[in-house]
Amino acid sequence: MNALKGYKNTAILLFAIGSIVGPAAQAQVTDTSEWLCEFCPFESGQQADVSVGASSVSDDSAYFGDASGYSEEGVYANLDGTGSFASDRHRLQWQAEDLGLDSRVAALRGARPGSFDYNVAYRQIPRHQSFTSDSIFLQSDDGTLSLPAGWVRAPLTSGFTELNASLERRDIESERRIIEVGGNYLPSSRFKFSANYRRQERDGLDVYGGSYFTQSSLLPGSFDYATDVVDFGIRYAAGNGIISLDYYVSEFGNSNTELRWENPFTSSPGSEFAALARPPDNSFQQLSLSGRYRFSTFQTVASFTVAMGRMEQDEGFLPYTTNPNLAVSPLPRSSLDAKIDTTNFAFNLSSLLFRKLRVKLNYRYDERDNQTAQNDWSRVIADTFVSGESETNTPYSFERSVLNLSAEYKLFRSVRISGGYDRKTIDRDFQEVAEQTEDTGWGGVRWRPSGAWDIDFRAGASERDMDQYNETVGAALGQNPLMRKYNLAYRYRRFGEIRIAVSPAESPVALTINGLYADDEYTKSQLGITGGDDLRIASDLSWALSENASVYLSGGSENIDSEQLGSELFAAPDWRATNEDHFDTVGAGFRIMQIGSKFDLRMDYTRSDGTSKIFVDSTSGGVSQFPDLKSTLDFLRFELSYRRSDRLDYTMKLRYQKFVAEDWSLEGVDPATIPVVLTMGANSYDDEVLIVGLGVRYLFD
Amino acid sequence: MDLQRIARIAIVPAFLAILSTVGGAQTSSEIGPNVSYSRKGADTCLACHDDEAILALFKTRHAVPGDPRSPFGHGQLQCESCHGPGGEHAPRVRRGQERPPVIDFGSDKDTPVDVQNGTCLACHDVDVGIGWHAGPHDSDEIACADCHVSHAALDPVLQTSTQADVCFDCHQLQRSETLKAFSHPLFEGKMECAGCHSPHGATTIDQMIRQTVNDTCYECHAEKRGPYLWEHAPVSEDCSLCHAPHGSNHPGMLSSRAPLLCQSCHSQSGHPSIPQDAGGLATGMPSQFLLGQSCLNCHEQVHGSNHPSGSKLMR
Repeated sequence: MNALKGYKNTAILLFAIGSIVGPAAQAQVTDTSEWLCEFCPFESGQQADVSVGASSVSDDSAYFGDASGYSEEGVYANLDGTGSFASDRHRLQWQAEDLGLDSRVAALRGARPGSFDYNVAYRQIPRHQSFTSDSIFLQSDDGTLSLPAGWVRAPLTSGFTELNASLERRDIESERRIIEVGGNYLPSSRFKFSANYRRQERDGLDVYGGSYFTQSSLLPGSFDYATDVVDFGIRYAAGNGIISLDYYVSEFGNSNTELRWENPFTSSPGSEFAALARPPDNSFQQLSLSGRYRFSTFQTVASFTVAMGRMEQDEGFLPYTTNPNLAVSPLPRSSLDAKIDTTNFAFNLSSLLFRKLRVKLNYRYDERDNQTAQNDWSRVIADTFVSGESETNTPYSFERSVLNLSAEYKLFRSVRISGGYDRKTIDRDFQEVAEQTEDTGWGGVRWRPSGAWDIDFRAGASERDMDQYNETVGAALGQNPLMRKYNLAYRYRRFGEIRIAVSPAESPVALTINGLYADDEYTKSQLGITGGDDLRIASDLSWALSENASVYLSGGSENIDSEQLGSELFAAPDWRATNEDHFDTVGAGFRIMQIGSKFDLRMDYTRSDGTSKIFVDSTSGGVSQFPDLKSTLDFLRFELSYRRSDRLDYTMKLRYQKFVAEDWSLEGVDPATIPVVLTMGANSYDDEVLIVGLGVRYLFD
Repeated sequence: MDLQRIARIAIVPAFLAILSTVGGAQTSSEIGPNVSYSRKGADTCLACHDDEAILALFKTRHAVPGDPRSPFGHGQLQCESCHGPGGEHAPRVRRGQERPPVIDFGSDKDTPVDVQNGTCLACHDVDVGIGWHAGPHDSDEIACADCHVSHAALDPVLQTSTQADVCFDCHQLQRSETLKAFSHPLFEGKMECAGCHSPHGATTIDQMIRQTVNDTCYECHAEKRGPYLWEHAPVSEDCSLCHAPHGSNHPGMLSSRAPLLCQSCHSQSGHPSIPQDAGGLATGMPSQFLLGQSCLNCHEQVHGSNHPSGSKLMR
C-alpha cells in the first residue's frame, strides 16, 4: 500500500510538472527581456548616396548605344543615387540610375512593414539598330511614306536615276518607356491583397519589307505601341497552406492601323500605293487560382495552378487592296472578332518517401482554343492583281500536356542518384501532325567526394513521334509531300549535362565547369532539318588573393550544327545545306579594394567571337560556301575610386568597346544593289567607342 | 536504497527529458541536443561581429524594430532568429577547442542546405510562393544564400542592373549566350533574368513567369500576340521554335538565318524550294532571296497578318 501511494504521489507530481513545464517549454524558447540591442545601429532618418559626374563618348555607335544610352559622340551628364528613409514604422528606399541618359531608371519602394508596401518605377530602354541606313521615303503627316519630288520610276533599281540625290540618312532607333505602380496590403498575417499596374510605350522607327509581288522596298516605318497591364491578387495563407487568386489584364494599343507607302518601281495603274496592316489592338485577360499545401506525411508538398484566359482582337479590316482598279468581292466581315480561350493547369507533388528517397510528379496542361470564325477571303496579290481564288483563314489551336516523374536517392552520403521519365503530348488542329508524343528518359549522378568537390552529371534520350504526318494538309498549301517540319517531325535526341565545382574549404581558389551536349536526328525526314547537334562548355575560375583582392577568369565555347535537305524540282532531295554556328568568349578581371585604405580598383575584360558558316551543295549549282558571318566584341572596363573621406569619393571610369561584324547580307548591298529590292544600304557593324567618366560620390545622412 | 525508490527518483528527470524534447525540438534552427541562446542577443554577437558587412543588415527590412515579424521586432530572437542559438558559440572557448558553430549560410558552409533554407522559409515560405518544391533550385539543393545577401543594404539579386551577374555564377552557359552578337540587354544591366523566369520555382515550363513561353514573351512584345486573321502556326505555338531568347549570332535572335530557317519548313514549288548559294551575294548576281532581309523583303508579316489579303504574310 505504501508503494502504491508512493507511485500515486509521483504521478501527481509528474502531472503537475508536465502541466507547467510542457506548455512553457513550447511557448518560451528563451527569455529575451535582457536583449536590449544597445549596440544595434538601427537605421533612422534619411540617408542618401549620390553620384554626379560626366562622361565623354568618343564616337557614335548604334551597337553600344543600344540599351546603354551612350549612342552618340559627346558629353553626357550622369546622376545616380540611392537613398532611404526609416522611422519606427515606415521604410522608404529610392534608387536612380543614369538619369542623364536615355536609359534612365528611377524607382521608389516604401513600406510599413507588416502592414503595406508600395513601389513606383520608371525605366527607359533605348534601342538603336542602325546609324548607316538611308532611304528615299519621306513621311507625311498621315504616316504615308511618299516618294521625293521628281522621282523617276523604273522596273529595276538600276533605273532609279534620282536615287543618289534622294537618299537621306534614317537612324533606325526606338525607345521603350515603362512605368510601374504597385503595392501590397496585409490586413492580417493570413491575407495579402496586391495590385500592380504597368504601362509600356514603345515608339520609333523600324525596317519593314514592302512587297509589290516581284519587287520590294525596305521601308523606314514609324511605330507607336502602348501596352497596359493590370494585375490584382488575393492570397490567403494559414498553417501549411497557401491559396492565391489572381486576375491579369493586358491591353495592347497601336496608334497606326497601316503602313502605307508609294511604290518607287514602275507599276500598273492603280497600284502606286500599297498598305501593310499593322499589329492590331488586342487584349488578354486571365483568372488564375493557385495553391500549395504541406502534408506532414513523408514531407509531401503539393501545389497546383489553374488558369483560364481569353485573347481578343476586333480591329476593323483594311480593304482587300489600295488599288481602285481591281474589282474584288466585299469583305466577308468588317473585323475579325477573334477569340482565343486559354486553359492552363499544373499540379506538382514532391515527397520524401524514406529518409533517402525523394520522388516528384509534375503535370502540366496548356490549351489554346482558337474560336475565331473561318471565312473565305479573296486573294489580291500585292495590290497588283486578283488571283481569282479564295482562301480560308486557319484558326490554329493546340493542347499540350507534359508529365514528369522523377526520383532521387541518396545512395551514400556523398552520392545521390536520380532518374526520371517525361511524356509530352501535343494535339494540333489544321496542321500536318494532329497528335504528337515525346518520351524522355534520363538518369543522373551527383557526387560530392568531399566538401570541396561537387560533380553533377545527367544524361538521357528522348523520342518524339506522331500518329501520322498528314501530307495532304501540306499539299493543300503547295508543300512537297516529302517535307517534314522540324517541330512536327520524328526526332530522336540524346543529351547530357555535366557540372563540376571545385572549392576547397581553406583554399582561395574556386573552379566551376559546365558542359552540355545535345544531338538530334530526324531520321524519318527526307526534306527539312535532318540533324543537328549542340555542344557547349563554360568555365569560371576565381581566386581570392586576399581579403581585399580577387581575380577571375571565365570562358565559354559553343558549337551548334544543323543540316537540312531541300528539293528545287519538287521531288526527291536535290540540295543540302549545313549551318555551323560557333561562339567563343573569354573574360578576365580583378578587384583590389582598400589600396592604402583609400583606393579601390576594378578591371574587367571580355572578348567574344562568333562565326557562322553556311554550306550549300546542290545538284544544279554544286558546292557553295558562303563567306563566314563574323562578330567580334572587345570590352574593357576600368574603374578607380578614391576615398577622400568617409562621405566623399572621387571616381574615374573608363570603358572601351569595339564590335566588328562581317555580314554578307549587308556588305556591298547598297540601296540599288539588288535589282528588284530597294534596300536601305545598312552596313555591318563596325563600332569602336571609348567612354571616359569622372564623378563625385557623396554620402548624406 | 531499494529499486522502487530508485525508479521513483529516476522517473521524474526521465519524464522531464521527454517533455523537453517534445516542447523544445520544434525549430530547424536548433543545432544540438543542449541548445541555449546568448545572454544578451545581438549585443553579444556584435561584440565580435561588428564589421561593415555585418552591420549592413541594419539597413534592411530584417532589422526593423517596429515590425513584430522582423528578427529585431519586440520579443524576437534578433541574430539568433536566423543563425540559431548562440549560447554555446559566444563564450570563450578553451585553447585547442573548436568554437561551436551557429547556422551559417551558403552552399559552401557546413550547415546543411535544408537547415539553412528551412530557417529562411520559416518566415518567407509564403513570400517564396507555391513553386519552390516544383523547381530545379530546390532539387539541386541551392541555398537561399547562394543568391541572396541578407547583410547588404541592396541585395544584388534584387537589382535589375546586377541580378544577371548573380545568376551567371551558376548559369555560365547562359552567360556565354548573352554575350553573343544579338541578345536581350542583360549584359547592359537593363533587363533581369526574373523578367522571364521565376527563380523561386514555378509550375510552368522552364520556370516562366507566365503560364507559357509565349505569354511570357507577350509581356514586352504584346504586338505579336494577335490573334491574327492569318496566323503563322509555329509563332502561335512557341516563340522559341525560331528564336533563341538567351542570345544568337543572328539578327532578331533567330536560331538560324533566312532563307535556310524558312526553307526548313517551306518547300513549295518555286522560290521557296530553290537553294540560295554564294552566287547570290552582292559580288555575284545579287539575290532578293538572300540579301537585305531575305524572305522578309516581301514576307514582312512573319508573326501573322490581320490584312484581308495577307494570307502569304506579305500584307
